[in-house]
Amino acid sequence: MIKINNLSKIYTKGKNEVAALKDINLQVAKGDIYGIIGLSGAGKSSLIRCINRLEEPTTGDIYVNGINIVTLKDKELRSARKKMSMIFQNFNLLNSKTVFENIAFPLRLIKIPEQKIQEKATELLKLVELNDKSNSYPSQLSGGQKQRVGIARALASEPDVLLCDEATSALDPKTTHQILSLLKNINKQLGLTIVIITHEMDVIKEICNRVAILGGGYVLEKGNTIDIFSKPGNKTTKHFIEDQQKIPEKMLSGNILNLSFTDGSANIPIISKITREFNVDVNIVSGKIEYIQEKQIGKLTIQIDTDRHKLLDIIDYLNKNHVKAEVINHG
Amino acid sequence: MANIISLLIPSLQETLYMVFISTLLTVLFGLPLGIILVTSDENHILPNKSLNTILSWIINVTRSLPFIILIIFILPFTRWVVGTTIGTTAAIVPLVIAATPFFARIVETSIREVDWGVVEASISMGATPAQIIVRVLIPEAMSSLVLGITITLINIIGYSAMAGTVGGGGLGDLAFRYGYQRFQNDVMFATIIVLIILVQTIQSFGNHLAQKINKN
Repeated sequence: MIKINNLSKIYTKGKNEVAALKDINLQVAKGDIYGIIGLSGAGKSSLIRCINRLEEPTTGDIYVNGINIVTLKDKELRSARKKMSMIFQNFNLLNSKTVFENIAFPLRLIKIPEQKIQEKATELLKLVELNDKSNSYPSQLSGGQKQRVGIARALASEPDVLLCDEATSALDPKTTHQILSLLKNINKQLGLTIVIITHEMDVIKEICNRVAILGGGYVLEKGNTIDIFSKPGNKTTKHFIEDQQKIPEKMLSGNILNLSFTDGSANIPIISKITREFNVDVNIVSGKIEYIQEKQIGKLTIQIDTDRHKLLDIIDYLNKNHVKAEVINHG
Repeated sequence: MANIISLLIPSLQETLYMVFISTLLTVLFGLPLGIILVTSDENHILPNKSLNTILSWIINVTRSLPFIILIIFILPFTRWVVGTTIGTTAAIVPLVIAATPFFARIVETSIREVDWGVVEASISMGATPAQIIVRVLIPEAMSSLVLGITITLINIIGYSAMAGTVGGGGLGDLAFRYGYQRFQNDVMFATIIVLIILVQTIQSFGNHLAQKINKN
């Protein structure tokens, strides 16, 4: 659906050049909910805005539905844009128009019979559950309602791709959850491909089947969300995944191991097996089980009092049982 | 008293005629110019640096001229447009030329206030620059534009008094000839009161309308 080849973006200001994106290669399949995550300044906003050319890529190609967006002329670009809608962090609704007219706006840009516009806008109002707000103005709506208007407006032109530029970053956690459920429903019902950029790991965990981690303008890691979560291989990735699990310094004594369990291993009583087979005591420092895309991921931090030799055997044993182990402190 | 009123009514009519026709033409010319000033900016929807620079320069030059000088300076042009340099209709020409660049700057400010995010959203929906101007920029700035038109209208009332002194007629002319040159203070006061009421009414109406349009 979307294929990004060797994309780079350099901002020039006077004599200064800042490379926001460097050699980005990504592929988004039809029906994907593709998450792009990174810290602020990682280049994620530039990346999504290059896809519909709100920003001009410096080099590289972007294919959407087989068409190279980068080489399109104004007129062709405008019709290509109608097939890839965007929603925004600040919603960007027209304050002078009612909810209904905001949703009808993309339809009024093309010559469509009034009756069709009415039908389509009414249908979309129902989809985002805002039937009763049809004649309200954006200033009378809550943030979540505004974003739902944004989503309805984005769907009016029946796009193939929905680009979400930090679409939930201005919303509280509960509203974020509602918006994400709505996006997931749309993805399932309409088969819409969705690209989401965010700095919130929870957004990725909740709806993205695939994820790319962006840092310093590069794609640091990409793949299935579940794989990235269970076996983060990169420092920035780890930062995103593990930052909720802050363990106080004083607890970090002896041999401390981080364990990650995935589908294959989450059901095995691994701790009692270790204590029995290696005759060691295991102290659990912290632990939790998360659900990503309805799949389990267990995270456990344990302390083992043993010598280095045995420790290596234990790590070996864990890996054999599909538990990823990482030593974060040596005793 | 009846005497003053019989003097005031035709003058008021002349002023209203001058002011409203001038405002109408000023909006007609100034609105597109103001929009061009914004949209031809290097990061806007129709970037055109040379057009932007030249237009901005012309506007600044026109605005630098004192109105009374402008009236005299463009006399040949006025004669060419309306066939005469004297009278109420002739006064409309310098009024429009003086007010248009002023209004263009006001439009520029109003249009610039429109959230760029909304413009970007329209671009992302495949809107053409013309559609963005007509369907986004103008409607979103409408409340502010109405206030701008109000300010311009009141400014033109002020200018029209000066135009009056060079044969334009109207309330300014009345106050000048009867009030100043003939020392008829009652005519002067009556004229001022009419002008105050006129300005107050226009400003209140403009505020009310802008408030009504504003959905923010």
